[in-house]
Amino acid sequence: MVGTPVLFIAIPLLAAFLIPLLGMIWKELVRIVPGLVLIYLLILAVNLLDHVMVHGPIIEIIAGWAPPIGINLVFSAFSGFLVTIMIFLGLLIWLYSYRFKKNVGYEPAKKYFLLLMMLITGSVGIVLTGDIFNMFVFIEITGISAYGLTAFYTGRDSAEASFKYLMLGSIASTFLLLAIMIIYSQLGTLNMADIANRIHTMNPTYKIISLIFFITALGIEAEIFPLNGWAPDAYSEAPGPVGAAFAGIVVKASVYAIIRYIFTIFDVDGAFNFLIIIGMLTLIIAEMAAIRQEKLKRMLAYSSIGQMGLVLVAFGFGTEEGVYAALFLMLNHAIIKSLLFFSGSYLVYNSKDKLIAEMNGLGKKLPITSFLFALGAFAIIGLPPFAGFWSKLSVLTAAADKNMIFIMSLILFVSLIELVYYLRVVNRLYNSKEKASSIEVKKPTANALITMLVLGGLILLIGFYPDVVTGVLHKASAALMDKSQYIHNVLSINQ
Amino acid sequence: MATLYLIFIIFLGGAILTYYAGKLGSVLQDIIFLATILGATSLFYAGVHINDFMSFNPGGITLTWGINYFGWLFSLIVLGLGSLAAVYSVGYMKGKKRRGYFYFNFILSIMAMLGILVSQDLISFFIFWEIMTWSSYLMVIYNGKDDQKLGLKYFIFSAIGAYAMLMAIVMVHSVTNTFLIGNMIEAYPQMSLSWQIWIPILFLTAFGVKAAMMPLHVWAPGAYSSSPMAYTSVFSGALSKMGIYGMVIILVTMISHLPQGIWFRETLAWLGGLTAALGTLWAIKQDDAKKLLAYSSIAQLGYIITGVAIGTELGLLAGLFLAVMHALFKGTLFMVVGAIEKQTGTTNFTEVTGLIRKMPWTFFSALLAIIALAGIPPLGGFVGKWMLYEALITSNHYLLVILIFFASTAAFLYCYKFLFGFFMGQEEKEWEHVKEAPATMVVPMVLMALFMAVLGSWPGIILNPINNGLVDLGFVSTYKHLWDTSILFNSWGNQVVLKPLLYSVVAIFVFFAIVLIWKGFKGTRYVSTKDISSSGEVPGENENLTFSLGFAQPFLRAVGPVMKRQIDRYYTEFADGLESFFEFLRRIYTGNGQTYAIYVFVFVVIVLLFKDVLF
Repeated sequence: MVGTPVLFIAIPLLAAFLIPLLGMIWKELVRIVPGLVLIYLLILAVNLLDHVMVHGPIIEIIAGWAPPIGINLVFSAFSGFLVTIMIFLGLLIWLYSYRFKKNVGYEPAKKYFLLLMMLITGSVGIVLTGDIFNMFVFIEITGISAYGLTAFYTGRDSAEASFKYLMLGSIASTFLLLAIMIIYSQLGTLNMADIANRIHTMNPTYKIISLIFFITALGIEAEIFPLNGWAPDAYSEAPGPVGAAFAGIVVKASVYAIIRYIFTIFDVDGAFNFLIIIGMLTLIIAEMAAIRQEKLKRMLAYSSIGQMGLVLVAFGFGTEEGVYAALFLMLNHAIIKSLLFFSGSYLVYNSKDKLIAEMNGLGKKLPITSFLFALGAFAIIGLPPFAGFWSKLSVLTAAADKNMIFIMSLILFVSLIELVYYLRVVNRLYNSKEKASSIEVKKPTANALITMLVLGGLILLIGFYPDVVTGVLHKASAALMDKSQYIHNVLSINQ
Repeated sequence: MATLYLIFIIFLGGAILTYYAGKLGSVLQDIIFLATILGATSLFYAGVHINDFMSFNPGGITLTWGINYFGWLFSLIVLGLGSLAAVYSVGYMKGKKRRGYFYFNFILSIMAMLGILVSQDLISFFIFWEIMTWSSYLMVIYNGKDDQKLGLKYFIFSAIGAYAMLMAIVMVHSVTNTFLIGNMIEAYPQMSLSWQIWIPILFLTAFGVKAAMMPLHVWAPGAYSSSPMAYTSVFSGALSKMGIYGMVIILVTMISHLPQGIWFRETLAWLGGLTAALGTLWAIKQDDAKKLLAYSSIAQLGYIITGVAIGTELGLLAGLFLAVMHALFKGTLFMVVGAIEKQTGTTNFTEVTGLIRKMPWTFFSALLAIIALAGIPPLGGFVGKWMLYEALITSNHYLLVILIFFASTAAFLYCYKFLFGFFMGQEEKEWEHVKEAPATMVVPMVLMALFMAVLGSWPGIILNPINNGLVDLGFVSTYKHLWDTSILFNSWGNQVVLKPLLYSVVAIFVFFAIVLIWKGFKGTRYVSTKDISSSGEVPGENENLTFSLGFAQPFLRAVGPVMKRQIDRYYTEFADGLESFFEFLRRIYTGNGQTYAIYVFVFVVIVLLFKDVLF
């Protein structure tokens, strides 16, 4: 082993604080340091994940107090897998935004990378922590940096979007705190494993109410309908890579939190069906809204919300296959949606309103970017032989095994809507008949191009050879399903 | 069995190479393109053994590849037509833009179709099915002028079909726990009745879309006519047959076990008949050759569907024989239109006329193809049609016979319109410069035309593989009495009974033609084709005298009421309605932060109120 899980939190946090200081030495360090940190963390994550796959989860105690009193971090196959995706995505976002806009000066760049590091710290913390109050702290860290990033372009609209996000985020914090208070007042502990061990002794009414508060609070962060009002505005007003970060990092962490509560901590069986219901609602409403969008980023935002709904549905099946499907979806979503955000940002780079209608004939002007966007669109629809197909297949298989034919047909119907709005955009890119867009295009910078090519390559790799990820996914889903093992692992650490 | 891998590697590698070879020179690109298709084809027939299967496990799913006799029959269509169309494409694409794009998608389509035929499991079947869909979609939008959203329409309908298939696949998987087609067929009789009904319906929806069956055909006219003609000959000739391929498998292996199967068969047969009749009527109405052939394709596919749906031995033989014939003559006809388009720049009958002397070989291929299409002896189309009628009559589908008979009689109108419109009639000044198409385009057409003529006399060439295929599917063997199935065949079974009679007629006709020409040779006076008068009125110089202008008006008036309602319009209205509904729903996101906050509280209150129900 080359390190311990705590480094995932300590190092980026330290880097975030050091960025302004380093900037005083040499301004370029502001851009370089986050990349070095993320490369190191990615190596660490892959190593640890490799270790965990064979030897079982790593439990780390913070500050010498053993659980259930102290705080512990759990790097299992499940949480480790998510951490790896997040860090990997963080690295790509860094690479992409290294010189995203040439004219971005030192001051904004400093803020951007500082907030990005904070965002990654918070999100990774949410996934790793084994303590519900600690998780609250990380959710706050993530939230605050996300509000800041939303308002990165200091205009009226982004400020408004950021304010909406802030408002709903505060409501989320309130509910989260309430839920934690209820749990603490009833059980006198904040450690997840300890709560899970004793949750059956809790008064059912309190239990249900705290669960509802948890779901509400985390649902706001995880973009569940009808709690996701902030999301479309935030996505469309924030810079492109930040959209990718929201879709790939923040929302994944929040979904993780919901899943951790429902699968491990609470023992409420109805929660699974509830997940399916709200997941389906989110999916259907979001995709229906997406088809009527005129702005590219808003469309991608709604599509992203819909995908998260599908992830929740897959988790809601409550079977190992369902979890496997959900994790596969999350992985694909991270890769494909990032590619769409990245390439989409360049397609509407100089346009004022970022309208889809302005994208006519860009296939000729920006051949590689357009091609990658089309590849991403084909992949997210679930066309074989691209990556999205395997996750869609596994979701449907999981649904069929649960005999949920109606859910299956709804998912497929919604996929059809998704197909229509993505193809409309792709059609526009390659339509040479209508008057080509007069807006001057911006060629992607070298680092952005590399990032996009890496993502495109991954889509093809997973599509043609899904074995590269299926082993990890099976291990990760097995790790989540085995609740008693989790409790045992954490609580036996002090002996 | 590694040959099969090699074939797919050749296809994939060839596709990518061809795409980039354009930068090095167009001749090199042509050579790589042809080498890929022809190389893979010859490798397939030389190195792949029938009923030799291999398995591998990507992503923990067992996939099996290999070809059986039934698939082999269709491989003849795919690779045979594919190779000829590939040769044709080289001539057709000369001097056109985006050749790399065209070749890339062409190779991928052929690969996907072959992949469908070798897939013995549902996952690779589906993957290849989808590759076929998107590569053909990319061809439909090749021109970059998607005016009426034809490409989108094609893709949406294909996706409806594909998703129906995907649903059936996962349903089967939840019962059998594997994706193998063989296991699905074995497990089918034990499924619950509702699943026994739903699974074939879902599969047939998918296959019906590709086979352009009513009411799922609305994508076809646009998609067929807007893709480049060199591709359309494959699109209509081979790609649509993939729908027939799947349909036959479902009908033979599933519906035969189902006591209620008769309803499936009758519904399908009638849908096929209606498709044939309406497709024919619409074809007559068209003034553009591409559109005419597109509708004619739909109609012909209707006959095939009817044939395979009635499910008797003769019916299946007829349907599959017609499928091969359709691939031949429709492939040829689209090539003919492509050649005319290439040489004149238009495909409108009301503009192009009198090409018979300028493009004689093209005319020859078109003539034979039209004879085959119309089902006139002695070409292969006649054998197929005869078998279809006989199959319908022997299985007591008298009303259906009338419908089919009406359709194929009416088809004469558009056959005539096609042949006469392009090749006969007045020779306009505008087309004086037109020359015969290049050899790469003419040779494939003529070869296919000759093959059609051969099949008319020796249908056994195709009927034997069909028979083997049906036996492979578990159909009662017709091997011993294959030649008793139709009264059309002689007792040796390899020829058509009417052959001697026919050839006598042809010989007499030819003899008298020669005598008449010889006799009248001396008194011949050469006039221009414009040297005419109608009702004592000499036509002006710029008067449009083309034969096809206002063609068959009284007939079309008579059948007008049938064609008044277009199903297309209902689909469009439905889609518009859905979109306005979505627009209404979208307004949930008001953009107002206060509303969003209210949503949160409403959510909490509702969930709290119903917590006993929900949890």
